[in-house]
Amino acid sequence: MKDARLLFDRVWKKFHRGQIHDSLRDLIPDLAKRLVGRGPSDKELSEGDFWAVRDLSFEVRAGQTLGIIGPNGSGKSTTLKMLTRIIQPSRGYCEATGRVGTLIEVSAGFHGDLTGRENVYLQGAIMGMPKRDIVRKFDQIVDFSGISDAIDTPVKRYSSGMNARLGFSIAAHLEPDILIIDEVLAVGDMSFQERAFGRIRDLANSGIPVIMVSHQLDRIAEMCTDCILLDQGAVVTRGTAAEAIAAYVQSHDASRMVESTGIVMFDNLCLEGGGTVRSGDHFSVRITGRTSVELGDHIEPILVRVRSLRTGGLIFVSGSQWRGFKLPSPGPFDVCLRLQANLPPGSYMIEVAAEDLNIHEDIASATSVMLRVTDSRTFAGHIQLNAGFSVVES
Amino acid sequence: MTTIELERRNSGAAVREQRLDPPPDIRPTFLEDVRQIVADIRWSKNLIYQLTLRDIRIKYKQAVFGFAWALLMPMAVVGAGLAVRFAIAFYSGKGLALGQIAGMAVKAVPWAFFVGCLNVATPSLVSNVSLVTKIYFPREVLPLSAILAQSVDSLIGGLIVACLLPFLGVIWSWQLLWAPVLLVMLWFLALAFGLFLSCANIFFRDVKYIVQVFLTFGIFITPVMLDVSMYGPTGSRIMMLNPVAPILEGLRLAIVHHQNLLVPRYSPDGFIFWRPWYLAYTALWAFGGLVVSAVIFHRSERRFAELV
Repeated sequence: MKDARLLFDRVWKKFHRGQIHDSLRDLIPDLAKRLVGRGPSDKELSEGDFWAVRDLSFEVRAGQTLGIIGPNGSGKSTTLKMLTRIIQPSRGYCEATGRVGTLIEVSAGFHGDLTGRENVYLQGAIMGMPKRDIVRKFDQIVDFSGISDAIDTPVKRYSSGMNARLGFSIAAHLEPDILIIDEVLAVGDMSFQERAFGRIRDLANSGIPVIMVSHQLDRIAEMCTDCILLDQGAVVTRGTAAEAIAAYVQSHDASRMVESTGIVMFDNLCLEGGGTVRSGDHFSVRITGRTSVELGDHIEPILVRVRSLRTGGLIFVSGSQWRGFKLPSPGPFDVCLRLQANLPPGSYMIEVAAEDLNIHEDIASATSVMLRVTDSRTFAGHIQLNAGFSVVES
Repeated sequence: MTTIELERRNSGAAVREQRLDPPPDIRPTFLEDVRQIVADIRWSKNLIYQLTLRDIRIKYKQAVFGFAWALLMPMAVVGAGLAVRFAIAFYSGKGLALGQIAGMAVKAVPWAFFVGCLNVATPSLVSNVSLVTKIYFPREVLPLSAILAQSVDSLIGGLIVACLLPFLGVIWSWQLLWAPVLLVMLWFLALAFGLFLSCANIFFRDVKYIVQVFLTFGIFITPVMLDVSMYGPTGSRIMMLNPVAPILEGLRLAIVHHQNLLVPRYSPDGFIFWRPWYLAYTALWAFGGLVVSAVIFHRSERRFAELV
């Protein structure tokens, strides 16, 4: 498909808080106002309105995967709904050129009284698959969902997991020119999730434009070439997945941050040898910055935090004081931090900050860098315990 | 067209935009809208088929009587009509002819079809709320497939009545060929009303109740149980303003009385109660109404997901 792309051009979307008039009694005064030209315009805010998306622009072309992250209510799903033409922007222009495949609400068209088989045909049609495609792929779809035993049972007797698996399998067998994904990665059990994610990765790697919304930041980090961080409908950060995720993770901790005091300043933070290490390997982080005064013992100048993007939680904290390391004297510094990636494969965020140990607050804005850990095939689980085996001679 | 510069992959470049001309503001004309609707419907043939199948399956899946239900409404209409006619016949002392029963049977099935269509089409968008708010497809397919499912129902009822007609004294004539013409008009009329009402019901939920009230009492202002000539010269003219009335009367005249509908018909009392231009009047409602309501539907379609 040539020129498949997603385009958002200065899009604004207005929503209304509270009730909309639903009956004639409310309508007539409103219509009268509209007739004399004093009714609310589509493009301006009137009472009770708010912008769910403000001034959002982006373009996604073949080979790119755009992630959209942000807290609840930041306009992520609204954006996707506009791309899929379910709702229209109040201002601006958006389009998706090509056959759009959506992995959103994958079992929305199911009807409980119909069997799984009948629902596959129905849902496929709703998603825009031609009949012959559904017929051709029917066996694949059922195999992928793993519920072939229950395919002739009415869907109302399915568990919610089976429901979602069947829905996902149908959607995953579309042959889209464009893929739009909204938070469907949390479908079914662990093994199905892996299979589903593998399928999405295959689709994304086939070179079509992809846009995805997810709260699983490690998935975003793994999949996306570009990323936008939204907050209250407006763009906060746009850039690579690492940049946007770093901004998002740090905005969580904004409460811990106080005004930068200027005692410690960081200039740069980088991973030596690129951002990818094999699980179990050693790697180095280069930290450069400046200190302006002789540091007292209550200042921790280099505090290291490692965060798992799968959960968003901290998994490791250490600091120069804890390890008995002192910065030489006031002035610029250039420190090498050596770490061992005793971690399962995934994406991690390494943050560096300075902290006042008396008040437990950051006194220098944290900088961060993203780390990808690849599988070394020596262990499975949450942590590497460096298992060693030897035969005991007796 | 706006261009947003794309420089490098893996760099976040795709999302750093460069602003140029303002976004286009295009208003499609009436004709473009009509063309778009036709294209949408052709594109979603499979969807319409699957939704129709769904509606039919759901209706009969756990129903004991199965397709016998398709006959219930027409039989009830004929039964009620017989009671009314019997009372009138007794009062006027003229007796009840077999042809009158045939005339009622001929009108009962199309009337049941029309009522059924409006009953299923009006709430079709609101009852598929999970689809409308979550997946995009041309929304016209929802009322359209509801009406198609109802058509299958009524077709069965119609075939059964057609088999019974010879026993009620109806014989073959070339005028029977009017029946398909009139039924097509009725179908389009039902679709026109269905599209408009389903769309109106999204904006104002009371539409559904208004429709129910009108359909309940509609049988008294539509010549279903009675023939239009029984309303007298002025009454019959007023009655024929109802766009369904000429179709039902036309069916009765063509099938039972072998009347050529291009010729006026006089009542036994000597006044004209069928005029050929009634056909044109109803056709205007059916086809003109369909185009207008389809365009209204199409233009308000984009707001459905927010209002439903």
